[in-house]
Amino acid sequence: MDKTFHLEANAQELKPFRAALRQLLEHAGFDEKMIQETILAVDECLTNVIRHAYGSKPGKIEVRVQDTPHEVRFSIKDFGHKFDPTQLPEPKLPPEKPGGLGVFLTRQLMDLVEYDPHFREGNLIHLIKYKTNQR
Amino acid sequence: MKIQQKQKDDIQVFELDGELDFHTSPDLREKISAEVSKQNHKVVVNLKNVSYIDSSGLATFVEALQKAKRASGKFILAELAPAVKSVFEIAKLDKVFSLAGTEEDACRLAKA
Repeated sequence: MDKTFHLEANAQELKPFRAALRQLLEHAGFDEKMIQETILAVDECLTNVIRHAYGSKPGKIEVRVQDTPHEVRFSIKDFGHKFDPTQLPEPKLPPEKPGGLGVFLTRQLMDLVEYDPHFREGNLIHLIKYKTNQR
Repeated sequence: MKIQQKQKDDIQVFELDGELDFHTSPDLREKISAEVSKQNHKVVVNLKNVSYIDSSGLATFVEALQKAKRASGKFILAELAPAVKSVFEIAKLDKVFSLAGTEEDACRLAKA
């Protein structure tokens, strides 16, 4: 399976996208826990794009989902301001103030989080979730 | 997300229904903030019908807890579904919040 979602950078898009993603992950053979983890990780990435790359202004987001025999791979592309979430420091846990947990959750829940510095038109982030626990 | 508010004795109870994310958390933040900022107020949030929470939802509750503490009040979360509780645990927030198994337990904790 290789599917690309074309989303608007709008918080209202998140809920229907999560529902569509759930169907794909069920089809990919993920168990319920892996589905929940993956949905949250991808959702946090999209929220970051809406907030930081586009500053809550209109924009386009492309989410490519590739289901391979051993992993599900996500490529999240936007055309907004440069924002590399992999450069953020680890938050102190438990947090003493609100915020700053989104990128942490993505890192915790996915097996690989990679920012592509060569994508010039905006930001491109790759996420991978293995189908078995290979961590 | 549906947000219902009721009063049980001297406790404000919020019942949430839906998914708590970047889109829905600002409305909840506003409603809860108005209560927890009052001096000595007791607030319980029942999450029984919340199937999803993201970092925006967590931030909403962290802020509410801070405000409640500053105002010498109580802020208790009740009936978290396993999927929601696990997100609190990943962020080690289960050590920070009072998490009650039932709304009745939460109200008892709020009165203690």
